Amino acid sequence: MKRRSFIKALTGFGVAGALPMTLVKPAFGATADRFLVTISATGGWDPTSLMDPKGNAPRSDGLGPVNNFAASAIKSAGNLVYAPYSDLVQPPETDSAGHFDNFFQKHYERLLVINGIDTQTNGHDSGRRFVWSGKLEEGYPTVAAMAAAPFADQPMAFISNGGYDFTTSIVAPVRTASAGTFNALAYPNSQFPADEDLIDVSFFSNASYDLVQQAREQRLTRQIIAESLPKRQQQMTQLQTVRNSDVELQDLLEFLPEEVSSGLAGQAEIAIAAFASGLAVSANLSAGGFDTHGDHDDDHTTSLTELLEGIDHLWEQIEAQGMQDKVTVVIGSDFGRTPFYNTGDGKDHWNITSVMAMGAGITGNRVIGATDENFEAIPLNESSLQPDDNGIIITPQHIHRSLRDFLGIDSDLDNLFPINAEKLDLFS
Amino acid sequence: MAKFRCIAVAALLISTLAPALVQAQSGSIPYTEGNLLHIPRIDVEGYGSLEVDLVLVDAANLVYALQAANTTTATFAPSATFDLDTNILSIPLLQADGEFFSVNLILQDGTNFQVTSSDEATLVGQDEYNTQCASCHGTDGQGAAVAVSMVNCANCSSIDTLSNYIANVMPLGAPDTCTGTCASDVATYIDTVFQVDNSPMVQQTISAIQSMPLDETLRKASLQLVSRLPTETESNLVETQGEAGLLSVLDSMMTEEAFYDRVAEIFNDLILTDRYLTINGTPGEALNLMRGVFPDAFWFGDPQTTEIDAEYISNLFITNDSVAREPLELVNFVVENELPMTEILTADYFMVNPYSAKSYGVFDELNFQNEYDADEWLPAQLEDVEFTTRQGNTISLGDIPHAGLFTSLMFLNRYPTSDTNRNRGRSRVVYDLFLDVDILALEGSRPDGEAVDISSPAPTLDNDDCVVCHGLLDPVASSFENWTENGFYIPQLPWYDDMFQAGFAGVDRPDSEEPQSLQWLAGEIAKDPRFNDAMVRIAYFGLVGREPLDPPGEDGTTAEWDAYNAESVHLDELKAAFAADNQNLKTLIKEIVLSPYWRAEGLEDESFAIIHEDTGAARLLSPEMLHRKIGALLGFEWRGMLDFYYLTKNMDNQARLLDDRQFYQQIYGGIDSFVVTQRLTEPNGLMVYVQERMANELACYAVPNDFLAPAGERLLLPFVEPNMQPVGLSNQNAIMNNIQYLHSHLLAEDLDIGDPELQTTYELFTSVWQAGESAVNVTETVELPPLCQRSRDLETGANLAEPLINDPDYVIRSWMAVTAYLMSDYRFVYE
Repeated sequence: MKRRSFIKALTGFGVAGALPMTLVKPAFGATADRFLVTISATGGWDPTSLMDPKGNAPRSDGLGPVNNFAASAIKSAGNLVYAPYSDLVQPPETDSAGHFDNFFQKHYERLLVINGIDTQTNGHDSGRRFVWSGKLEEGYPTVAAMAAAPFADQPMAFISNGGYDFTTSIVAPVRTASAGTFNALAYPNSQFPADEDLIDVSFFSNASYDLVQQAREQRLTRQIIAESLPKRQQQMTQLQTVRNSDVELQDLLEFLPEEVSSGLAGQAEIAIAAFASGLAVSANLSAGGFDTHGDHDDDHTTSLTELLEGIDHLWEQIEAQGMQDKVTVVIGSDFGRTPFYNTGDGKDHWNITSVMAMGAGITGNRVIGATDENFEAIPLNESSLQPDDNGIIITPQHIHRSLRDFLGIDSDLDNLFPINAEKLDLFS
Repeated sequence: MAKFRCIAVAALLISTLAPALVQAQSGSIPYTEGNLLHIPRIDVEGYGSLEVDLVLVDAANLVYALQAANTTTATFAPSATFDLDTNILSIPLLQADGEFFSVNLILQDGTNFQVTSSDEATLVGQDEYNTQCASCHGTDGQGAAVAVSMVNCANCSSIDTLSNYIANVMPLGAPDTCTGTCASDVATYIDTVFQVDNSPMVQQTISAIQSMPLDETLRKASLQLVSRLPTETESNLVETQGEAGLLSVLDSMMTEEAFYDRVAEIFNDLILTDRYLTINGTPGEALNLMRGVFPDAFWFGDPQTTEIDAEYISNLFITNDSVAREPLELVNFVVENELPMTEILTADYFMVNPYSAKSYGVFDELNFQNEYDADEWLPAQLEDVEFTTRQGNTISLGDIPHAGLFTSLMFLNRYPTSDTNRNRGRSRVVYDLFLDVDILALEGSRPDGEAVDISSPAPTLDNDDCVVCHGLLDPVASSFENWTENGFYIPQLPWYDDMFQAGFAGVDRPDSEEPQSLQWLAGEIAKDPRFNDAMVRIAYFGLVGREPLDPPGEDGTTAEWDAYNAESVHLDELKAAFAADNQNLKTLIKEIVLSPYWRAEGLEDESFAIIHEDTGAARLLSPEMLHRKIGALLGFEWRGMLDFYYLTKNMDNQARLLDDRQFYQQIYGGIDSFVVTQRLTEPNGLMVYVQERMANELACYAVPNDFLAPAGERLLLPFVEPNMQPVGLSNQNAIMNNIQYLHSHLLAEDLDIGDPELQTTYELFTSVWQAGESAVNVTETVELPPLCQRSRDLETGANLAEPLINDPDYVIRSWMAVTAYLMSDYRFVYE
């Protein structure tokens, strides 16, 4: 007999001891109806090679062209413009979901592009921190953690695949491995959890297992009472908290494909399965290979193809679960890359970057913000969001101020990690 | 008469008032806190010195009543004085709300004192400190992430020492601004105001920690340092010789190979060069970094042209990991030979084994005893190196000026640079890892959202907002000027003139040192006392499981300050012992193991619970530590069923807690030293599932495996047999004895035979047995669960003469239940 009911905790701990409970309980209902995926193009992507192309006109300062393609070759899909492939690289297969043409023609109606964002840094750590938390200095949680915090008592509330996953303990990040591991963990008493026919062959009989679990729970309670070292007592309480929720991890398995993909696509499959099964609320996904200090065009093309394939696959997973109106996807990177090539045909770090968004609540086919021919940010009017010499430069602070409002981040949490920037209507 | 009366008062104070708990603040000068006025020393002519507490009883008239007094031998200048002729209590220096005053009080009738005058006092050196030091060290002297606390700081052993240090080094980047009188005045100010010394509160805070007994300390140290249980001989030595015996055992343990695995793990948690191990990246990643300079990197065959077979794969993996491990092997070499830890930076050599020596082209120059022993490491130097450009041109680089980790190919690639970064990232890491200074903390001083003016041609040189950080960062960054973004040495490369040039702590690097700039930098850092802070931080983090406490800041509570001050004093003692023994890391590790903070198992006084809420080395075991603990306690590792252990025992990808792709290393909070660089220290939902599966699987494997051995050789079940049912007093006693043994063996819980915990475990055993035994051949089979059965030898895979398949009495399964119960216990998964 399959053991469908667990008395276990999958919840990340860290909240109850650190924050008032009002900060960790959802303001409405106990079930999340909004989900967030953040995708980090780790290493610093080059917007001019994707959604903010410039072309190969020589720069007036002699530093060379921004791109290795003609401005006349720049393409568009609806209101979006996107880069052609560099003259120096072999484009991906024409049927690849990550081919620029395929990706933008398929998704432009749901894509929002925000260009000309000044990260004010060209350090990886600080850039990642600023782009995903809205704070250049240390100490703020990633927005994915803030979205998950009200549901911290759900298992895997915040799934992290690396990148910037600092949470300030408002919710614990749960790291995932391959899909096979979920079988083994979902059925911890099964000797053959991956084999449907043998899944009921257990280490212990149900009667024995119940006795073991009961004894374990009772002992932990006794230990908490008897412990005199505060740190150990806190750890025991944490352990008990995590163990004491009633969760059905097996549900996640029902939403996973039979063969889970590798890379970003696999991260997407696990995240959406976890959303659909009610185990997770937010996830950060990551794709690497963007720190192209050498051989930029070649390496960046490869990385962008994998990134776009992953985003396309993510969207297909979202659609397959009918969650288009529930999942918002935000895609960003540490910073941008220089609007010129170095001596190794690479591009170094540059503080201007872009963000893309799609999914629930996002009105697509839009571009906000702009950069000049040298890939410098152009100020925007706060109201019209149009270029305005007297306007403001968008920073990740503005992105997060707007994103938090858009996502409905808990006001107590918002106040706890304040962002004092102009409110721009970027997402809604 | 007056004199007599005052002497009488003094005598009264001594004889009738019980000494009160005096809570020290940041220093030992008189201070006010709320209604309390604490005076650490009042000199009374002809009598002696008193430590006195007064409490405000009449705020309108500033009248204080005596609350406590005691004799004192504390030295403090200028001390307060009491004039027996005038009844005037004169306090030349009183700290109140961060300000300083000179105050006079007069003794009224009884034991009340009334303030008669108060004037603002300015201490010698105070203005200079606030102007030149406080921005980093804080007006309260407690420091911040970017600058050390002034409380018992490394250079604060005497005013002269501190004065010399300030004159020559501080402020960093501009030491000429405070020399001579300025330096001595600031040193006096720091010494006067900020030194905690061994204040009563510090001592009481530390004394409140209840340390575990030496035998438990031995077990904990043994598991943590060498991944095994102590031997009987070692236990006896500690039992008979106490602390001296423990130190002797630790010395011996620190010669074992497992200890150096642990040292490497501790350092990698911060240095993160294991990012290039095959298990954390792609095959050959470290070797690919060598292309261009080391033509023999793939000495076993070019991957583009060589047929890939098993031998090639083996050479690829071993050689790659040998190259990747080079920086951590240098650390191990220094520790093993008890060299000063500064050698990890100053070493004019690097480490190779036979495999990596071939890659670097130095194999023939070294005398390896075994060409195929990847564990044989020797120091080596690179001479007459040539560099081949992309265009195929060859440039002679000459001899490499090795400077320990700084010039390690792995270290330099792990922390890359670019034309725009100009080695500043590397500089940040140098400050963080080897000087315990977090440069990024300086960002906090930048106004939030306010752009810094960068209109000048070189703002990092002439804009104060930039210089505050770049004045520290850039001289170290420039010291890497001869090392490329790929980690290669190319001397005489043009360097930028629009940034601070090579130097350290206000000292310019001499031009003559330019070719060996990093050797010069390493030598300078080796002289800097902050290097000792950095080593203490790394060792403490590794062994205790958390960083030393940060200063609580201006919003910190009294309890937080007490905790911080006490730990700071303690860390200072560790640092002093480390420095005194030639910066020997083994000495530091022994000091930590013996310390109350590492051995904490409870509190002597529960009123200190708030102060000690983060005290102790109890930690959720990392996946690697749990993996090793399992091996030590069960005699095998968690790698799947034991009939195939002879195949899986050397396969890293089968180790459940070491592999992050198929199994649980990442889920259980491990790091890959690249994308995931911080361990999870609190359990989450998936992690408790890992614990549960671990307990179930391993109980299934361990119990039958133990019963295959003769009773005297068993690790878990030496007192019972697989057919010993809990029937009859003899059997029941044997079972209870084994349960007592299991609590000790698995949980380090030594309980009396009558302890209720043992009775509870016994009841679990009998409950499982009763339910199971009656169900055999009804709903339960005679056979053990398939994965628990044994038919092959653990080590060789040979068929067993007497396979263990059946459990007709349900005794084996009952012991499995008990073992699973204990292996999922807090005391097993935490240590």
